Amino acid sequence: MASNKSYLTRITRGYTDFSYAPIPTKFTRFMRRCIIWQAWRWIVLNIKILRIVAFGHS
Amino acid sequence: MAKIVVLGAGIAGHTTSTYLRKWLGKKHEVIVVSPNSKYQWVPSNIWVGVGRMKPEEVYFDLEPKYKKWGIDFKQAKATSIYPEGGSGHEKPFVKIEYVGQGKAGETEEVEYDFLVNATGPQLRFDKTEGLGPQNGNTVSVCSFDHAAHAWAELQKSIKKMEAGEKQDIVIGIGHPGATCQGAAFEYVLNVYHEIDRRGLSDLANITYITNEYEVGDFAMGGAYIKYGGYITPTKVFTESFFAEREILWIKRAGVYKVEKDKIHYENLKGEYKEIHYDFAMLIPAFSGPGIKAFDKQGEDITPKLFKPNGFMVVDADYTKKPYEEWKASDWPEVVQNPDYKNIFAPGIAFAPPHTISKPFTTPNGTTIVPAPPRTGMPSGVMGKIVAQNIRDVIKGKATLDKLKHKASMAKMGAACIVSAGYGMTNGMAATMTVFPIVQNWEKYPEFGRSLTYTMGEPGLAGHWLKWFMHYMFLHKAKGYPFWWLLPE
Repeated sequence: MASNKSYLTRITRGYTDFSYAPIPTKFTRFMRRCIIWQAWRWIVLNIKILRIVAFGHS
Repeated sequence: MAKIVVLGAGIAGHTTSTYLRKWLGKKHEVIVVSPNSKYQWVPSNIWVGVGRMKPEEVYFDLEPKYKKWGIDFKQAKATSIYPEGGSGHEKPFVKIEYVGQGKAGETEEVEYDFLVNATGPQLRFDKTEGLGPQNGNTVSVCSFDHAAHAWAELQKSIKKMEAGEKQDIVIGIGHPGATCQGAAFEYVLNVYHEIDRRGLSDLANITYITNEYEVGDFAMGGAYIKYGGYITPTKVFTESFFAEREILWIKRAGVYKVEKDKIHYENLKGEYKEIHYDFAMLIPAFSGPGIKAFDKQGEDITPKLFKPNGFMVVDADYTKKPYEEWKASDWPEVVQNPDYKNIFAPGIAFAPPHTISKPFTTPNGTTIVPAPPRTGMPSGVMGKIVAQNIRDVIKGKATLDKLKHKASMAKMGAACIVSAGYGMTNGMAATMTVFPIVQNWEKYPEFGRSLTYTMGEPGLAGHWLKWFMHYMFLHKAKGYPFWWLLPE
């Protein structure tokens, strides 16, 4: 991810919406691309979506 | 023998006509009228817009498929509906004007027993001065050809960055009342990804501009999700996506004019502002296609069938009331016209009772609020229940006054996979689900929706899902083996 734009540092963007947004930690970013964890999440997400479709109409 | 005419061959219309063809015997006629000769899987247009897919990967020709399945396809646009018949017709009919099949300009009157209006949106670039790829200055990703053009234009900006030139990139919503924030959000993340993977992000000043009160509203009043040990609004989730990528955002903005290098907008404070751009993709306002309606005597009865925005009147509660009094029960359950009950309008074609997000007006009188979204999943579900209800009426299992199958947007959920990168090991997407789409404060008094089924999750799994869905839904639309087993 980009992080070296001088004009977009935390300081120059202080006290704007931009500076109050949460930024993911290294661990979070790792988990987002961890194949094993993501394979599990793929199964969970599929089940959730299928249940949403099933509940959605009668 | 029943004759069903389906206007439109997008997600809703195609779903209705294919199910009807499957369920009804050959003695019943299914006719599809659409000015488009191709079916397109719209969600993948984003990937066309960043050069990850070719246009031909997201569409296929309708006529050969329909011929094989026994659906009569007319490449034409509907111009008027006569729901009581007239002009020598005992039965109701729809007037159409061909735009292809070697009959361009010819007109025809097509009788029907059931009419399904699934015409989708007209892209109203003309509602914002200087907007759009044809007569304006901006690009669009609303169709595969627009998306291909967007990619061609984006490449010009990328080339300039490769030569060391800074570029201002603005992506978002091009009208104070436009919808489809999900598509704009997805496109800005994908554009960022394409620029970043080329090592050019320091040269790109990317801004998202939107008519949402807060980013993450997504035209459905935002949502609450469990995220990081808290129940947080989607605002936090969305802002995090932007901040992580150093994308700036301008919210509460009603774009009213686009010049060659400047976008003019009014904000909720009533201030008129402008932003410079080198590349801009802005979503236009939508409307219905402007079909007229006439009674047996030829009197104009268009207001009985259509709202002024061209979307069809259905079984919704259109009573004007303040935001605080809006209810889930305002939303239609069977998308059936109350005066002519053999007419249905699934998908984008039906007129919503009101927006989902709270409307706000500037001191200058401009209302800035996103129109309600009706994405692929609800459109497909509505298309299916319309087919089920028509089938049941034809087979004598239901009557037009008492339809069994229902699909209210206040009772159904939706999944929206927002791609933010591409690749089987380094792709990224935000998987977002809401249940229901329209907040139901009576059923879920705390957060308006179920927290079990309303969620947002970034990760590689979302990219796999989006990729899988591209192939799965095209498999379904093409009628390949066991297509009917796949969900909408």
